[in-house]
Amino acid sequence: MTTPLLELRNVSRRFGGLSAVKNVSFAIGKGEILFLIGPNGAGKTTVFNLVSGFLHPDEGSIHLEGRDISGVAPHEAARLGIGRTFQLVKPLSGLTVRENVMLGAFMHTASAGRAAAEAGEILTFLQMEHLAAQPARGLPLAVLKRLELARALATRPKLILLDEIVSGLTSGEAVTLAGLIQRLPERGVSAVGGVEHVMQVVMKIAHRVVVLDYGVKIAEGKPADVVRLPAVIEAYLGPKYRELAQ
Amino acid sequence: MSSMRGWKPWAFAAAVLACGSLALVARNDYVLQVLFRIVLFAGLGLAWNLVGGFAGQLSLGHAAFFGAGAYGFALLSAASIPRWVALFLAAVVAAAFAGIIGRIVFRLRGPYFTLATIAFAEVLRLSVTNLKLTGGAIGLSTPALFSGRSLWGMLYLSAIALAVTAFVINVYVARSRFGYYLMAIREDEETASAVGIDTASYKLRSLLISAVLTALGGALYGSAFQFIVPDSVLTIDISLQMAIVTMLGGAGTLYGPVVGAILLLGAAEVFKNQFQESHLLVYGILIVLVVLFLPEGVVGGLQRRFGGR
Repeated sequence: MTTPLLELRNVSRRFGGLSAVKNVSFAIGKGEILFLIGPNGAGKTTVFNLVSGFLHPDEGSIHLEGRDISGVAPHEAARLGIGRTFQLVKPLSGLTVRENVMLGAFMHTASAGRAAAEAGEILTFLQMEHLAAQPARGLPLAVLKRLELARALATRPKLILLDEIVSGLTSGEAVTLAGLIQRLPERGVSAVGGVEHVMQVVMKIAHRVVVLDYGVKIAEGKPADVVRLPAVIEAYLGPKYRELAQ
Repeated sequence: MSSMRGWKPWAFAAAVLACGSLALVARNDYVLQVLFRIVLFAGLGLAWNLVGGFAGQLSLGHAAFFGAGAYGFALLSAASIPRWVALFLAAVVAAAFAGIIGRIVFRLRGPYFTLATIAFAEVLRLSVTNLKLTGGAIGLSTPALFSGRSLWGMLYLSAIALAVTAFVINVYVARSRFGYYLMAIREDEETASAVGIDTASYKLRSLLISAVLTALGGALYGSAFQFIVPDSVLTIDISLQMAIVTMLGGAGTLYGPVVGAILLLGAAEVFKNQFQESHLLVYGILIVLVVLFLPEGVVGGLQRRFGGR
């Protein structure tokens, strides 16, 4: 078996007495799109923070292409090829859209000209080149979400973590964004997304999903199979519906 | 980003020459002293701008570097090191201070960072006040860098040289990856680290450059008055003035600190003659007005209003 791009092995993380993530293992291969699904508080954001170095696991380990990256700092994780977006969008509001994306491109070049060219290419890929000169301040949420994606892509990541990337968008906007995420493997980028709800739009683009509930992995598999699992239905709808599912 | 292409370098050179030629025109030492202060604080504001403006780290402890420069210069000169060598060695001493202080205070954020910078500067002031080596509260005499009748003219020109150096560094920062990284840190440290920026290291680098420039300003100041005491070069007033000059003009802009220094020190000078001590009141009113109506400073506010950045 080839080494997976990213692998979590029995990862746990506690906050005080609360286990935010408990003994979670999963792996993602090159060119794969995987979504973490789970209700609010299931531990998705904690997983993203663990993988991107913002938190470190209490137990277990995280491996990127076989290398243990459990204790690296966030900027080191980024340099190793892990890009991320934030659930609450964080544009550099004083800068333009292009400049925001240049910030990611600066990881590979010290030249502002080359960074601008690379930013332009990514903005074109994400169909937002017409907004390049706009200040990031005051842009609508759908654009800001895409800007988060653009900035992360500009670092040329191997893996991109998309925390709640479609939440807060209208269904039309979500479909557009999902279409763009679906094209990430073309660029050699794998993606781990996170969503609260088992959304149609996600089911279409995810190759695989991992379902979390109270920090525990309760299911993993192809989207169409996972939504039929009794444990998943119970997590979302309560024990009453478990029997209905069977 | 303000560009320096086309006519701008010429305009810049002309402005510097015009300022410099004032040294020849103004034969009056009082006028030269006022000009020296304004230009010195423009340079200091530009130095502070790197940390407080671009990187957004509100330091109120820059008096530590100013004082380290002044005291370093005085002590090294007393140890019979040539004056101009002592001047630059003093800047190295200040950079060493900045290295130590920065490693500690940059672990803190927001108001805690600001309080820690004040605390460090105060610790240094109290140490210097109580050490024999530094002459205690009585202070030290500082050698003059220049002599003769054109003393103030030469000091004024030195202040211009410092301000121009600081300005050129600001221009470079505003256009380079280094500057973008500092602005990213100012806007959001988490986002900055998510795009691979080692935030601690970049904040420290900006502080080192800022400290060196500030120390050169301190040494120049000490040499101008030929005597320093803790309460003249290590007082929080210095830290506050550096911050206020920059924020008044526009933190994170290129021209802000220069405009701020002209406004604040110019106004202080005018009103000092009219109202004696109550010029501090004018200071206060000026600051309140800017905070209320131009929170991004004079230059920042104007740029916002008339487009461009």
